[in-house]
Amino acid sequence: MAKEIKKIAIYGKGGIGKSTTTSNISAALVEAGYKVLQFGCDPKSDSTNTLRGGKYIPTVLDLLRQNPNVDAHDAIFQGFQGVYCVEAGGPAPGVGCAGRGIITAVELLKQQHIFEELDLDFVIFDVLGDVVCGGFAVPVREGIAEHVFTVSSSDFMSVYASNNLMKGIKKYSNQGGALFGGIIANSINSDYQKSIIDDFVDKTGTKVIEYVPRSITVTQAELSGRTTIEAAPNTPQADIYRSLARKIAAHTESRVPTPLEIDALREWSANWADQLLAIETNEVRGERAGI
Amino acid sequence: MTKILDEPRYACALGAAQTVQAIYRAVPIFHSGPGCAGRVSGNSGTGYLSTNTFPCSNIGEAEVVFGGEGKLREVIANSLKVIDGDLFVVLSGCTTEIVGDDIVQVVGEFEDASKPILHVNTPGFKGTNYEGHEWVVDALIKQYLSTLPKGEKIKGLVNIWGPVPSHDPYWIGDFRELENLVREIGLTPNIIFGEHRGIENLNNVPLAEFNLLVSPWVGLQNVQLLEEKFGTPFLHYPTLPSGAHESSEFLRAVAQFAGLPPEPVEQIIARHEEEYYYHIERNVSVFFENRTASKMFSTVSTAHRALSVAKFLVNDFGLMPNKQYITENVPEKHKARIAQYFKEFNYNIQAEAVFETDGYKIHEQIKQEYYAGPPLIAGSIFEKKITKELDGNFICISSPFSQKVVLHSSYVGYHGGLKFLEDLYTGVYQTYN
Repeated sequence: MAKEIKKIAIYGKGGIGKSTTTSNISAALVEAGYKVLQFGCDPKSDSTNTLRGGKYIPTVLDLLRQNPNVDAHDAIFQGFQGVYCVEAGGPAPGVGCAGRGIITAVELLKQQHIFEELDLDFVIFDVLGDVVCGGFAVPVREGIAEHVFTVSSSDFMSVYASNNLMKGIKKYSNQGGALFGGIIANSINSDYQKSIIDDFVDKTGTKVIEYVPRSITVTQAELSGRTTIEAAPNTPQADIYRSLARKIAAHTESRVPTPLEIDALREWSANWADQLLAIETNEVRGERAGI
Repeated sequence: MTKILDEPRYACALGAAQTVQAIYRAVPIFHSGPGCAGRVSGNSGTGYLSTNTFPCSNIGEAEVVFGGEGKLREVIANSLKVIDGDLFVVLSGCTTEIVGDDIVQVVGEFEDASKPILHVNTPGFKGTNYEGHEWVVDALIKQYLSTLPKGEKIKGLVNIWGPVPSHDPYWIGDFRELENLVREIGLTPNIIFGEHRGIENLNNVPLAEFNLLVSPWVGLQNVQLLEEKFGTPFLHYPTLPSGAHESSEFLRAVAQFAGLPPEPVEQIIARHEEEYYYHIERNVSVFFENRTASKMFSTVSTAHRALSVAKFLVNDFGLMPNKQYITENVPEKHKARIAQYFKEFNYNIQAEAVFETDGYKIHEQIKQEYYAGPPLIAGSIFEKKITKELDGNFICISSPFSQKVVLHSSYVGYHGGLKFLEDLYTGVYQTYN
């Protein structure tokens, strides 16, 4: 009997560190001996770059553009310690439908039973930011992924994107769609940032999988075209990614989230704005007191 | 909100391809999936160009993902090479609109082509084929007629608008009869749709002395646009005239608007009425001694056809109206005005216009109405069964039509009224004899 493949989707607002985090999780998992495929679902098609020395690979849609009968193997490339990399790709900016592109790319690999054939332990979908249309919800529905995680900082727009994602998950949850695993709290370097995310997961019935601090090590690794796991394996930051990967590997039960309605979300963010102002004011007073 | 629509009687905006096809030697180019193109071309017969040869970009998944502009460009270029047409009109379907193909830009690249190429955004989600018809005519005005060199107005030239080509089974005969009526009082009719009229008539549109719109709403925005672009005044005459009374009223209104002396027009009217009532009189036994004849009626049709038939049956033939069902999803802004038209019969007789697109809901209401005997239902093929259930009389006046073949006949004008009675009582005879 074929082994169970763990299928995970990682969402997050653009620029929040989603691909960085995903690639480090993939790298940590292959390092731990798992067989992993990372599937970039972003028209920018740079999700897997740091797994392959900073190099772009031909995307599924690039191949489809040239030939309607694509052999999915042609879109699979190996990177760091044998990790499999696929990029869905997309149309040129401003034309066509990127959402449909993702549907097409995912369906192609599914139809050709690539995941089973590669004897994978993990498939990790790295999906563009907001669930702006049906195409970006594909990994959530139709049983393509089982667990969805979101990468979020404590910035409001990032939290907003996570909340939107939860809405998408909730919508498909009674139709056999993926459930929500939790938030990967990224760029968390202070207590108040942690408090914001903690409060948000509390309100939405979810949890934080890992707090990942902002670190120059990550930037240095990225600039060298590598993941932190590869470029700086003996750093605390690499260990945080390893810990995150272990938690994701051990994660078994996801839930239906309870996203906030838009008014509640605005009220929530307004409350936090007041609190932050108070924190700032206190700091100023504290500094003055010290003079 | 999504709902199930039972027995719809209109097509989507892409159905406006029929309007293009009705212009002799004009060619619709579909920028849509093949299914949409096939579906909307299916019932419009053939003509200068068979519907099976309409160019279509046949967009598939690759065009959805990457955009279909390249394929459209290719189809336009090749259509120009292989189709000997005078005018090409690109019509976009839902899918290409959703993925954001810029047909304006692609068509713009053919500005220097040997034949004019126009573009109309006709996604089905935006409106019906009736609105699509208006958008095509607007495109003709804005993108083609406005680019022609300015010419002098031609005295007595009248553009006639109103019937919607192909979707209305009687459109071609109706245009011909309107043409005949207008010609008889000394004006020169100009119609762009129908046999061998084509681009020559289209080119004359800006030169007309006035525009005559014979329709409750379809085409109103077009004649308003023509007035704005070319300073051409328009007469909006909502009733498609059928039978003696309405045809005479029509001739008087047109003559008055054109500033023609009334006397010669009255002579023409008198001659027609004499002939018309001769036939009515000699067949009166058919109409009134038939115990199965109806006293009250409902129409289930477009505002255009329903008003025409209702006016004829009340003002000319003396039946009483029940509810009149308007089925083509009339835009909100026209509804109050159309409802008022149905309150302006002779002898202060009024009817309630019900705007309803759902066949089931219409039939449920018809079942509740009192017709003082066998009801007369003038509708589409969808009304045949309900009429039978009510032991009534049925006449098919509207799409979907598959009840009889209409080559070129019409219910418009004096002879059109007689033709209506022939068809109506043929139905009565066939039901009861």
